[in-house]
Amino acid sequence: TRVRGSPQASASASRVLLRMLSPLPGRGSAHLVCLQLGPASHPGIPRPAMTAHSFALPVIIFTTFWGLIGIAGPWFVPKGPNRGVIITMLVATAVCCYLFWLIAILAQLNPLFGPQLKNETIWYVRFLWE
Amino acid sequence: MGSMFRGEEVALVQLFLPTAAAYSCVSQLGELGLVEFRDLNASVSAFQRRFVADVRRCEELEKTFTFLQEEVRRAGLALPVPEGRLPAPPPRDLLRIQEETDRLSQELRDVRGNQQALQIQLHQLRLHSAVLGQGHVPPLAAAQMDGPSERTPLLLSLGGPHKDLRVNFVAGAVEPHKAAALERLLWRACRGFLIASFRETEQQLEDPVTGEPATWMTFLISYWGEQIGQKIHKITDCFHCHVFPFLEQEEARRAALQQLQQQSQELQEVLGETERFLSQVLGRVQQLLPPRQVQVRKMKAVYLALNQCSVSTTHKCLIAEVWCATRDLPVLQEVLRDSSSEAGVSAVAHRIPCQDMPPTLIRTNRFTASFQGIVDAYGVGRYQEVNPAPYTIVTFPFLFAVMFGDVGHGLLMFLFALAMVLAEDRPAVKTAQNEIWQTFFGGRYLLLLMGLFSIYTGFIYNECFSRATTIFPSGWSVAAMANQSGWSDAFLAQHAVLTLDPSVKGVFLGPYPFGIDPVWSLAGNHLSFLNSFKMKMSVILGVTHMAFGVVLGVFNHLHFGQRHRLLLETLPELTFLLGLFGYLVFLVVYKWLSASATSAASAPSILIHFINMFLFSRSPSNQPLFPGQEVVQSTLVVLALATVPVLLLGTPLYLLCRQRRHSRRDPAGRQVGWVGHLPDSGVAGCWPLQATSLPPALQLVPSEVFMHQAIHTIEFCLGCISNTASYLRLWALSLAHAQLSEVLWAMVMRLGLGMGREVGVAAVALVPIFAAFAVLTVAILLVMEGLSAFLHALRLHWVEFQNKFYSGTGYKLSPFTFALEDE
Repeated sequence: TRVRGSPQASASASRVLLRMLSPLPGRGSAHLVCLQLGPASHPGIPRPAMTAHSFALPVIIFTTFWGLIGIAGPWFVPKGPNRGVIITMLVATAVCCYLFWLIAILAQLNPLFGPQLKNETIWYVRFLWE
Repeated sequence: MGSMFRGEEVALVQLFLPTAAAYSCVSQLGELGLVEFRDLNASVSAFQRRFVADVRRCEELEKTFTFLQEEVRRAGLALPVPEGRLPAPPPRDLLRIQEETDRLSQELRDVRGNQQALQIQLHQLRLHSAVLGQGHVPPLAAAQMDGPSERTPLLLSLGGPHKDLRVNFVAGAVEPHKAAALERLLWRACRGFLIASFRETEQQLEDPVTGEPATWMTFLISYWGEQIGQKIHKITDCFHCHVFPFLEQEEARRAALQQLQQQSQELQEVLGETERFLSQVLGRVQQLLPPRQVQVRKMKAVYLALNQCSVSTTHKCLIAEVWCATRDLPVLQEVLRDSSSEAGVSAVAHRIPCQDMPPTLIRTNRFTASFQGIVDAYGVGRYQEVNPAPYTIVTFPFLFAVMFGDVGHGLLMFLFALAMVLAEDRPAVKTAQNEIWQTFFGGRYLLLLMGLFSIYTGFIYNECFSRATTIFPSGWSVAAMANQSGWSDAFLAQHAVLTLDPSVKGVFLGPYPFGIDPVWSLAGNHLSFLNSFKMKMSVILGVTHMAFGVVLGVFNHLHFGQRHRLLLETLPELTFLLGLFGYLVFLVVYKWLSASATSAASAPSILIHFINMFLFSRSPSNQPLFPGQEVVQSTLVVLALATVPVLLLGTPLYLLCRQRRHSRRDPAGRQVGWVGHLPDSGVAGCWPLQATSLPPALQLVPSEVFMHQAIHTIEFCLGCISNTASYLRLWALSLAHAQLSEVLWAMVMRLGLGMGREVGVAAVALVPIFAAFAVLTVAILLVMEGLSAFLHALRLHWVEFQNKFYSGTGYKLSPFTFALEDE
């Protein structure tokens, strides 16, 4: 852990940063490209400007993608001496990459604990990732 | 499937070669490189074989070639590479080649000898002229030139007993390191009766033997008295000095010098002519030698191959036994027909049944060769067993990438490999001699795939030179947490670190769609999350890989006709593996899907559940994951334990029963033809035989069979546990790589980027800092970590994956070919 100077100084530095960022109003809307499937709106609590990530959509997209490569791809390999090797490669690549991606997304589906951030980071990210 | 799935069918072929055409047939076979000769004369020593005389003649020729090559090299010339097709010459040409070569070498030897002699002569002449021209002035003459001085009366006054006083001279040259000793010895031996003057030659003379320039010391000894003269001569002989006649008169000396100079000039001309002739001879050698070397080498190889054939009883033809791929049999027959066409009787090839295990042949192209190479480095597969190489093409780079995952490093590796692949046809690249470069170049396709997969896993780990990227917005909302927990500025100023709680509404918005969420790279507890993720990932990948290995064993059992092993070995193995460790994977995935942050404090611990499963106990504080979990777990453990005796006793009992049944059916001892089951670790030792053969079946010794199966069972069951744990190296190495990468960034690059507020300072400081960062990245993270991850991925393949189905105890088909060995 770093020894920090006076907390006032860091707070004021963050404020300067905030003022630098605020003249860019269109910044936040650039993020709103994802679909807004996700937790339903909670009455009474202001809806955060962050978009929610759905689970179903990436699963469908990636399953289709690797399914095309691994299941449909082998039908289009041209006949030749290397046909068997190429088909093996396609299927193995599809299985490995799909499995790896699936593990990554499943591990984050229901987190049991959250990230532990430094207060400077919280200051910065709070307003940047609006 | 392609031809890489299992080795090709190789047949034992018997060739009948008529004696007249045997040489040309074998020479043609060598050009094609199709077949491997079996040594039929193994019991005969090398000196008693049929063609030993021809082999010896070839070897003598090769000795002469070596001498010629040495001479060419000594003259500083290079031998050109032979071009074009150079078939082995017919045997009758050998005599002609031998004569030619002998003549050339004799000529070369004569010319060299002449040159040597001339050079020695020239050296002598030069020494002589140096001695004469050195300007040693005999002391008497000097005294005369001086005129009357104090010395003259002394000499003149000498009279009496020394009436016949006459000064004599010995002039010569001696090597400088002996000069001091010579002077000392002369003084000690003949003190007072001689005057010696030593002087070094002004120019350096070339030594005729070594060719190095050296200085000589010339001396002039003036003495009087016979005995002294004899002593001096003995001493100079002892020191191997060159002594030359020294004439007293100046003019005589000058005349002699002139004559010497004339002689040496003439000699130099002759020497020049000799050297011209020598270079001519060397030019002819350069032209002649390379193709002859290739031809004689081929000839010797053909005779060595012919030595392996046996002679038929009628002495009319040679019989050879070769291993040949079944696919190449028509080509073989055509080649034999063509090359024996002029002999009248044509060579015949026909297939015979084999008792020994045939060699393994797997055809590869330049892409698959490197992957087949790493499989073969562990062991060449047995004849026709399943080849792990086609799967290794993808799983090896993938497991490497799991341990190496970083977009930036993967991209660098990919670009390096791409450069090598695109430049692979350039001659400069192919003929490079550096061994390390050759190693990297040979594995260029391997590096290409490794880099490509590393880029992919780098994106999933969300690491690019240890920095995370926000391609999609993060799934964690700091603002929501801050708003709902009342994190005012003052509150934040008081607390250094705060944790986001996923159970608070709006904080966690969903899993990041591709990879690890970038917020984790900002978090202090990111290792807690990543460790849990990577450990579970390693176990899942490991169990999948191993189950795939067991499934590949099915193909072996089917191919070798051992269907009983499907039921008695593969099924119990799969049950054991999937029942225990497949269940662990199921628990992991179930917890991922069903856990909720609200009850995070009381979340069930998979580890404790797994331990209790084996101990048949329970921990009251650990909640079950799903209803009925205990029943399921107990059932699985009992099932897994039940498979152990099946694995241990199933196959041996079945085989013994079958043997007893067969012996009961054929009491005469004529067994049904199949080579006995060699109880290896799960791989058959049986290969399909011709229907005509009836080889004696190996008697199964019960104790051996049981022991082999016991070893296999223990190896498999204990191996399941240890191999699953071994896959945790995927976690360990990826953690090490991530940490090294982060430390390098934090300690090097961040210093440069965080430097100074003025515009210029950071820019100037960044140049050396980036240089250091780049060098350390390449040296530590790419080379060292790359080699480390390569090694561990290799180990995972060789041990954990291949010991489920691969035995690797075969040998390669090494065809008789004239291609150079360094291919």
